[in-house]
Amino acid sequence: MGRDRLNPGRVVCLSVLIAWLFAVVFPFVWVLQTSTRSTQEIFRSPFGIPSDFWGSLKANYTKAWVESNFSDYFANSLIVVLSTMVLLFILACPAAYTLARKRSRTSRFLLIYIVSGMMVPAPLLLVPLFFQYKDWSAKLTEWFSPMLSMIGYENATISLADSQPGLVILYTALALPFTIFVLTSFFRTLPTSLYEAGIMDGCSEFRVFWSVMLPLARPGLITVAIFNFIGLWNEYFFALVFINSDKYKTLPLGLASVSIQANYRSDFGLLFAGLVIVLLPTLLVYIFLQSYLVRGITVGALKG
Amino acid sequence: MTALERNQLRFTVMSLVPPLMLFTFWIALPSAKAFYFALTKWDGLSEPEFIGPGHLASIATLQDPLVQTAVKNNLILMVVPAMLILSLALFFASVIRSGLRGGSLFRVTFFFPNILSAVAISVLWMLLYSTSGFGVFNNFLEWFNQSLIGLGARSEPLLKVPFAFTDSSILVWSIVPMMVWTATGFYMLLFFASMQSIPESLYEAARVDGASTFSQFWHITLPMIRDTVVTGLVFLIIAGLKIFDQIWVIEQQQARPDSNTLTTLMYSKIFTEYRVGYGTAIAVVLFLVILGFTLATFKLYRKEALEY
Repeated sequence: MGRDRLNPGRVVCLSVLIAWLFAVVFPFVWVLQTSTRSTQEIFRSPFGIPSDFWGSLKANYTKAWVESNFSDYFANSLIVVLSTMVLLFILACPAAYTLARKRSRTSRFLLIYIVSGMMVPAPLLLVPLFFQYKDWSAKLTEWFSPMLSMIGYENATISLADSQPGLVILYTALALPFTIFVLTSFFRTLPTSLYEAGIMDGCSEFRVFWSVMLPLARPGLITVAIFNFIGLWNEYFFALVFINSDKYKTLPLGLASVSIQANYRSDFGLLFAGLVIVLLPTLLVYIFLQSYLVRGITVGALKG
Repeated sequence: MTALERNQLRFTVMSLVPPLMLFTFWIALPSAKAFYFALTKWDGLSEPEFIGPGHLASIATLQDPLVQTAVKNNLILMVVPAMLILSLALFFASVIRSGLRGGSLFRVTFFFPNILSAVAISVLWMLLYSTSGFGVFNNFLEWFNQSLIGLGARSEPLLKVPFAFTDSSILVWSIVPMMVWTATGFYMLLFFASMQSIPESLYEAARVDGASTFSQFWHITLPMIRDTVVTGLVFLIIAGLKIFDQIWVIEQQQARPDSNTLTTLMYSKIFTEYRVGYGTAIAVVLFLVILGFTLATFKLYRKEALEY
């Protein structure tokens, strides 16, 4: 195959690849390095040795983590995304299993119905969901306020908009079509003889699903979990529309508002540190999970 | 009905009803409602007033100058990044496929920007593009100017520095490199995976016949992974159509006439002008165009399986 034989053509190709490698890596190194310089030093030039490394580092990161609430944004993102993942798997796994096992017309129709949701772009849902959440919040408050005032919460309101539960339900619904699509095709690859053996041994339907089929579907579950986690962790559009209170903001929303503040106050030490706080965990997780991710794409490409 | 059948039926119902309800009330019915709202005049406070397909017609015929700019910006973001990303990704994938030490290092590194949020990438590039002292690109331009003067090639600076990369009037062009930087790694992986299924014997036969590397790529690789490239092209076109986050973050969460795309225009129509019906009509047009592109993909796929 002429592996690594050096001819002019290969040298050019390799140089382009190395240049791209540099272009991908450079911004991260730059942000990391710049976050250890004071704002005055940052303004002077894009590169430079920090005069007071530990001092600037501590000042920038304290400002970002504590004063600019990155700790809260981080916690909010974790709460919202993890709750969504739990709810999503509780709803999607049994449904995908049933849709894969039943080969009836109804089951095929229901699968197409849900999977067609992958075609719906987020902007189409914006207005209907926004006003639906408004209406439903008013109704929920009306129904539950007598009960709430009985247990001591006078004039309490229940809201789906600007609340974490509302966002979690919305995210679950958005992730449902893709998740059911992938899991159903995964469950279909499992042999039906296993199901029959389980039933023969006197297992209930749920028991077969839980103890026999679900463990076998683990590779599919992991792939879906990773892709959903990335998508939801990075979600900005719906969070922007539905979350107004600073205390509920997720990481993308928080970073966007801190970037506006930083520009306004010319405090770029804070922004560079905030960006590192956002990028570093992703990088660490990526180092551990890259083989799963790369395999997920490879399998997907070979299938379709 | 036996106990077993009852048990099975209960499981079937319990497993399907909750997700179907959630999907129906959060995705299916709202999508249907959007089509109704698009046909109304509505400020979001009073009752929607039905006016028929006026908004849709006005958007489709580009009556509004704001829509014209948005469509122009969307077209740029649909075509230019797609061309660059597909060419680069095909090039990288073929180089890595042809056998290369450290191929997996390139794959893993090139893919990384894909898993970052569009918000983080936008903030990162905003800092690179900055007109302040730390802006990397502007410092490079300044260095370039000084070098030309130093070499005696020019007496005054060639380029105007600092250059406002993120100015609304040219923002979409500055978003192109961002998108290329982000997405190339993903498409490279996709094409690389697809190339794995091409039998090596084809290349051997071509080499025996004295085909050059480029003609091997053009006559073997490209036709063999055609469907994957078509899929990638449609993905990228749709991404350019739906783009919102990057522009919204760089424009400090405000819509500006020059840098609007259809999604940011929709957002500002709804939440700042309170023209909810008109805004929803933009979303409906967006959906119909995406649907059209998706259906067209199936037409573009190779009709019969390749034989080799």
